[in-house]
Amino acid sequence: MTTGKCPFASRRSVIAAVSGLLVGSAVRPPQAESAPAPVVEPFYGRNQGGILTQQQRHSYFATFDLIAEKREDVVRIMRDWTAAAARLTQGQTGRPISENLAVPGADSGDTLGMRPSRLTITFGFGAGLFIKDGKDRYGLAAHRPEALVDLPAFNGDQLVEGHTGGDISIHACADDPQVAFHAVRQLGRISYDVAQLRWTQTGFLADFPSGETPRNLMGFKDGTRNPTEAPVPSRKSVEDVVWVGAEGPAWMRSGSYAVVRRIRIALEHWDRTEVDFQQQVVGRHKYSGAPLGGKGEFDTPSFDQVDSDGNPVIPETAHIRLGAAELNDGAEILRRSYSYNDGSNFTAERWPPWRQGIEYDAGLFFVAYQRDPRSGFIRIFQTMSKLDAMNQYTTHVGSGLFACPSGITESGYCGQSLFEA
Amino acid sequence: MPQFQARAKIPRLALGGLVLLLGHAATAAEPQGLLETLHRHSIVTSTVPSNGDQNPYALVLAPVSAGKIRKGDVLIDNFNDKNNLQGLGTTIVTYAPATKQTALFAAIPRHLPECPGGIGLTTAMAMLKTGWVIVGSLPSQDGTTSTKGSGCLVILDSQGSVAGVIAGPNINGPWGNMAVIDKGSTATLFVSNTGFGVGSSDGTPLVVNQATVLRLELSIEDGKPPVVTKQTVIASGFGEQADKDVFIIGPTGLALGRGGVLYVSDALGNRVAAIPDAITREDSAGTGKDITKDGLLRRPLAMVMAPNGHLVVTNGLNGQVVEIDPETSKQIYARWVDLNKAQSPPGSGDLFGIAMTESGDGFYYVEDEVNMLVMAH
Repeated sequence: MTTGKCPFASRRSVIAAVSGLLVGSAVRPPQAESAPAPVVEPFYGRNQGGILTQQQRHSYFATFDLIAEKREDVVRIMRDWTAAAARLTQGQTGRPISENLAVPGADSGDTLGMRPSRLTITFGFGAGLFIKDGKDRYGLAAHRPEALVDLPAFNGDQLVEGHTGGDISIHACADDPQVAFHAVRQLGRISYDVAQLRWTQTGFLADFPSGETPRNLMGFKDGTRNPTEAPVPSRKSVEDVVWVGAEGPAWMRSGSYAVVRRIRIALEHWDRTEVDFQQQVVGRHKYSGAPLGGKGEFDTPSFDQVDSDGNPVIPETAHIRLGAAELNDGAEILRRSYSYNDGSNFTAERWPPWRQGIEYDAGLFFVAYQRDPRSGFIRIFQTMSKLDAMNQYTTHVGSGLFACPSGITESGYCGQSLFEA
Repeated sequence: MPQFQARAKIPRLALGGLVLLLGHAATAAEPQGLLETLHRHSIVTSTVPSNGDQNPYALVLAPVSAGKIRKGDVLIDNFNDKNNLQGLGTTIVTYAPATKQTALFAAIPRHLPECPGGIGLTTAMAMLKTGWVIVGSLPSQDGTTSTKGSGCLVILDSQGSVAGVIAGPNINGPWGNMAVIDKGSTATLFVSNTGFGVGSSDGTPLVVNQATVLRLELSIEDGKPPVVTKQTVIASGFGEQADKDVFIIGPTGLALGRGGVLYVSDALGNRVAAIPDAITREDSAGTGKDITKDGLLRRPLAMVMAPNGHLVVTNGLNGQVVEIDPETSKQIYARWVDLNKAQSPPGSGDLFGIAMTESGDGFYYVEDEVNMLVMAH
């Protein structure tokens, strides 16, 4: 057996080699307004990446169940994951590649030669880290934040165990699907003795022209009313919506709570629906994105507007009405969702005419960040799950709530102030 | 749903025919019936209780205040469980118009020893002046008729607790909305049974002509649950059929008219039939006499008698209710009360239970597809 020298010391060296080509290439960075988006997203900072980061085009989400018996093993893996994540986001391999070919490679190597593709890796802690089956496995139960509740059972939930829960979440987002998957794969392989994979979900975001709101698989613009840095009057700034403040424990300040929902959409049913009715369901014009009764996508919806019969122009059961901050005591969340497409399988639709057969297992991997899910997603979705006309097309089959700690310093690791509290 | 109707391209009123159209035009100032006097359809409440039960079926207005219930409250039961499996719903919720509150009234145990097959609550429900609530069960173990039991009628007290069960050879799948004569210490219930001889919904299930209408006479002593004193099958031979989508199709709507006539909506026959002498007869009238057939009817389901003496019946295969004058056997017109275009035709499969409002100038109905109670007014 020979021992050869690895041709690539890191992915970064390759990036340096090709970066000059990028400047003049026809490749369009996703959603960049004018200047190209940076190829590398910062890993260290006040907040974790992947939350307010300009949304990348691909997503790989995974949750893990901890099987470690000791707290120090959990700390060890958080240190190792943090170190590997920092390398990966900078375009390096998860661990340095050895020149010894007689051992398994420290990295799968499937992204060698690729750009970092703005990879971000966001860690989250599920309730199971703090207490599981009534057991305080790691002496952390007292530190479980009040906001890290067990999500209530919502009307229509058809949650599948294999797409729900998890002690720790890792969400990799990148402009390349292989880079995103590679990241989670490298982290998973260094934690076999501590954490076992529970469920995963891929996602994608269409490459829409810069400045335009992407459309989801229903063909509607999705995210128009997301909070922004410079909010309109009566709306909160995105910072207010997303980041935990002094109300939370120290390790969560400048962190955020992620709600994820795997939402299967009956696309076959939707495709048979008149566009006009689709618009009634959503509350927007399909092609322009304008709210019903409005002209432009970013017009403020007029929820009080009625037609000549006295019926609301934006229906009582329209999706945008039920999700509107104005009608939910100001509740807001930052949606950062991806479409998903997992092939097809047998399903029985839940609504008339109750079609049964092989249908697309596709829909929306809903991801929402907020400073408190009780006044965010739960507040909004309690009503929406009962009244939204869109519920005739959507089924929530997966779910999770994760506390994403504050950002990471170069000398620290994710969740350090929790584990050392 | 109101918001859909406002933008609908379908006329809300569909007239029964040319003759009626001319008649209507000639007397435009005079309402021909109830439906043309209704203008709005308002969402009242979600009918889903905390256990997640789905698919609201029966609607009953409380005739008295008793226990948890106030006079005029709307009682709504659920046929499906939280997984949307049919024949496994066990709950009754109440909506109080006075306070606009929705509450759980009863959560019946999934299995009652006296009720063959367990609990899956149907459109058969009544509340008596003595405060007792009687509700039908046509249960399944897996959401299909392959595992159905013959079910029963469950007697609940006004707190929602089980006080007794009515079962026996005359009861198999008590299904349609009940007609009731309530004299306090005695009462007479009419209930359709659609379970006799019904098997699996696999393949193409045959129509079985074994559905019945049963008259139950009850005695109610002070403070004691009703006791059945007499049972008489007054109609029989209606078509019934297992169905993988809607579980079972059979006679569903019952309403008492003048002269002791019981009107029956015959879903598979697509007609409304009259059973003469329904209160007194001692034998079966078979499938009764046609009052009206086809026309605007599209699988007629639950039915109610309006104060004007007209029958109002929900269609199973579109979102319309049809108003019928039983004296003249005429279909007056139909109205779209559910224009939900998630179905084709709009509202298909959505309607089921119906009940007049307390004031009698409108009606409540359920929209099964979205688990809502709606009011036409």
